[in-house]
Amino acid sequence: MTISHDSQVILLLCSHLGLPADPEFPPFTLRDWNPLAVKLQSASMRPSDLLEINSIGLQSQLNLTEEEANRIANLLQRSGSLAIDLERLASLGINVTTRVDSDYPERYKQRLKGSAPSVLFYAGEKALLGQPGIAVIGSRNLDEVGQACAEFVGNACGISGLVLYSGGAKGVDTLSMKAALSARGTAVGVLADSLEKAIRDPENRSAISRGDLCLATPYSPSAPFTVGTAMGRNKLIYTLADYAIVVASDAGKGGTWAGASEALKAKWLPVFALEHSLMAPGNTLLIQKGAIPFPHPFMGDRLKLYEWMENQSLSQSKTETAFQPGLF
Amino acid sequence: MASSQPNKDYARKLLKLMLGKDQEFRPGQWEAIETVAVKKQRVLVVQRTGWGKSLVYFLATKLLREHGAGPTLLISPLLSLMRNQIEMAERIGIRAITINSANQEEWKAAEEALGINTCDILLISPERLNNEHFLNQVMPKFSGRIGLFVVDEAHCISDWGHDFRPDYRRIIRILQILPKSVPVIGTTATANNRVIADVQAQLGPGLTILRGSLARESLRLQNILLPRQSERLAWLAENLPKFNGSGIIYCLTVADTERVAVWLSKKGFKAAAYHAGNGNQIDREALEQAFLRNEIQILVATVALGMGFDKPDIAFVVHFQCPGSVVAYYQQVGRAGRATDRSYGILLGGEEDEEIHNYFIESAFPDVDVFQAILQQLEKSDGLSIYKILENVNTSKSKAEKALKLLEVDGAVGKTMDKKSLYFRTPNPWTPDINRMNQVTDLRRLELAQIQEYLNHQDCLMMFLMKALDDPYPTVCNRCSNCRGKGLPKEVSPELVIEAENFLKEETIIIAHRSFLPSGLFPGQKRRLPAELQIEQGRSLCYCNDPGWGKLVKQGKYTDGYFSNELLQAAVHMIVDTWRPDPFPAWVTAIPSLRHPTLVADFSKKLALKLGLPFYPVLKRVNNAPEQKTMQNSSMQARNVIGTLAIEGKLPDGPVLLIDDIIDSGWTLTMAGYLLLKEGSDQVYPFTLAKATGNS
Repeated sequence: MTISHDSQVILLLCSHLGLPADPEFPPFTLRDWNPLAVKLQSASMRPSDLLEINSIGLQSQLNLTEEEANRIANLLQRSGSLAIDLERLASLGINVTTRVDSDYPERYKQRLKGSAPSVLFYAGEKALLGQPGIAVIGSRNLDEVGQACAEFVGNACGISGLVLYSGGAKGVDTLSMKAALSARGTAVGVLADSLEKAIRDPENRSAISRGDLCLATPYSPSAPFTVGTAMGRNKLIYTLADYAIVVASDAGKGGTWAGASEALKAKWLPVFALEHSLMAPGNTLLIQKGAIPFPHPFMGDRLKLYEWMENQSLSQSKTETAFQPGLF
Repeated sequence: MASSQPNKDYARKLLKLMLGKDQEFRPGQWEAIETVAVKKQRVLVVQRTGWGKSLVYFLATKLLREHGAGPTLLISPLLSLMRNQIEMAERIGIRAITINSANQEEWKAAEEALGINTCDILLISPERLNNEHFLNQVMPKFSGRIGLFVVDEAHCISDWGHDFRPDYRRIIRILQILPKSVPVIGTTATANNRVIADVQAQLGPGLTILRGSLARESLRLQNILLPRQSERLAWLAENLPKFNGSGIIYCLTVADTERVAVWLSKKGFKAAAYHAGNGNQIDREALEQAFLRNEIQILVATVALGMGFDKPDIAFVVHFQCPGSVVAYYQQVGRAGRATDRSYGILLGGEEDEEIHNYFIESAFPDVDVFQAILQQLEKSDGLSIYKILENVNTSKSKAEKALKLLEVDGAVGKTMDKKSLYFRTPNPWTPDINRMNQVTDLRRLELAQIQEYLNHQDCLMMFLMKALDDPYPTVCNRCSNCRGKGLPKEVSPELVIEAENFLKEETIIIAHRSFLPSGLFPGQKRRLPAELQIEQGRSLCYCNDPGWGKLVKQGKYTDGYFSNELLQAAVHMIVDTWRPDPFPAWVTAIPSLRHPTLVADFSKKLALKLGLPFYPVLKRVNNAPEQKTMQNSSMQARNVIGTLAIEGKLPDGPVLLIDDIIDSGWTLTMAGYLLLKEGSDQVYPFTLAKATGNS
């Protein structure tokens, strides 16, 4: 495993690796890191330059407070334990990419900009992250129509060479992912927790080994599930895909609702909502707010699903803004 | 916190504080300290044992700590005896703490010290680098601020090192990720040119190499070839008193250490066996302490007596059997005479050495199909215990553990970070690195040939060792028996040899009973065997690889097709005169075999006749089972016995003597005994002619 010095610095500053649960100097959140990244850029410095400067130098060269400088200096001192952690993760099949790396998913930088996670852990074929594909979003508990839809989309993606994006959770995520993989397709799961555990599952592991699956997470690979991480993760599913289908959503509450509303508002991509007679109340509301109805059963040629979605969404304007080059 | 750069004058003051006023730096010591503590670079220190490598990293730690660095992480496979070095470090206010699997009761205090930054050096074994508690509890206590990496036994970084330790591959990868700004010290007592070049290639061109001479000034070397064990035992009894001091006798196997220790105790020496094997746990730390205080005069040890062991006044190191390589020999013999003017290093070569070494070399790596069978099991699941794996993979537990260790280091297998320790397959691809394994095996054979050459060398022995180790300054020692043309006598008194021969024949070899069934044998049933279904403690006449009886047993089984009268006499003598089981058996039976239907049965009949007991062949084979020795682990062995043995007819009353020729795992006797006891038999006493051996 090789890792650039820039990447190493970002991991030291922005990840929890090697830190206690309640560290004296907490790692940088994106809100903390982005201003520092801007300061570095305007001083024509790279993140790795931070390794060469002591606390006093940091204060003068980057115009930081003593407190900020000490925090940086302290976080940077754990490169020894970071090396031990990274080696262990690599031996388990988990790699890492950061915003400075050329192989970091371009779509995150374009669509999320400063909100793009600074660090991404992943297992499997990283090239899948951001390839043409459809995201399936929904709840863990599904009715029969929802199940059928999840399997239909997964299968359609599988046979037509599209990546099936999901959150890798139980319910709609797993159903659609399995359908895609069993059609010899590919899938990406952006996990909110427990990447280490997820890759122990024999089906996941074998798909990863074949190069058909990539599981990724911005959180520590051993992190347990929390509502907060699940919410923060939702936009990372939407922003990799070309189209998203919300299978079932509560109205006005819950992670699916929040994520779909956010995606509709940000206009990262066209969002569809499953429409049928027994649909969840949230689906109706999402359609009112601009989600495109997705019929069940789908009557067209499943090999042409992507084109169908493209046609349905022509009316909507996509907002692909230019990416700011050089953001760490 | 000192603000100026650390300098040599200040370091010298610390050195005097540690070692005494009249002490100075040895050549190379300050250079090594400067490389890491001032220049913050990487250094490889190749210096003989006793040169003062620990002083280098203690002083470097002190200087770095005074400038605000985090604690030093010292990785060493041999932590057991760094106690006296640790005391030395305390004199300059350096607090060293060890965390290993054996000192759990000290972990809490260690973690507290790390939390308040009062631990300066943390000593760990390489295995810790992949340990849950260490990564999740210990490292975060000091936010992972490692000021200096020390890698002990750094020759293990190279596959060309004499000591193959898979965990070092992990260390290499960690050091490759580690930014160059974190200083690293690698230390080793022995690394030839090839190993040094390899370490340099792995750790990068910025590595400074500091290498000194390997010559040992006080050591008098001599080689004496005495093929028979009895001759060597006699030689020891006759010559050890001449050494005038304490010493170590190295053996290749656990059984040999115990045998030699018993013999020497019989002959009036204060001797004790020291090893890490075979269940009968010995308190190694207590033995080391007693030896340091000279309460024990002679430690009879396997390689388990590690490098960290430092007793300055050892007068002699005798090798009862020839070690596997010149490096191993040099390191072991180097324990002698660190602070004395005269010490002896005597290498006795024996007839059994080659067989033992071949066994070690051949069992170093599990077969490729073992790796593949394990992976096949793991691929079907999300995590299996070692016992679950063994239910379906026909290999021994130790081989499976070896294979899993290699797979783990290769990233093909992971281990869960909870108490359950389940192994699981990772998504990383894996192909067996057969070339690498062959390369290590070939290297071992070359090393063996080289030490054989040393054993027969006619010129300066120290110079041979120095040249073999690529010492930059080899010189003639003028002290070894070849240089002086005289030494200790090779001849031994015939009376003593006879006494030793009798001693070897009288040796008690116990067959321990097993109280647990292997996992998965009777699903749903408790693994603990109830006391009434356990066999009694039994006896073996000899070990298979013993030159005396052992040879006769192998000849009887594999060549003649019957066991000789000599063995019969010996067995009767042992059972009646030395073992004397109480209550004495009332009848005799034997383990049946379809392959050799008469071999054990005939011997047992004759033995019964001599003992005046009836022989009843109540055990029968129901299926033609594969030979028990092809079954490689407990689950497989026990299942193989239980599925193929049955009891025929009614059992006679009274205790029974249960006979087999060679005992290996002991499952045949345990399970046959289990069947007898279940049928209502009285006590079952197992007896075998020989016991298979082969462990350190």
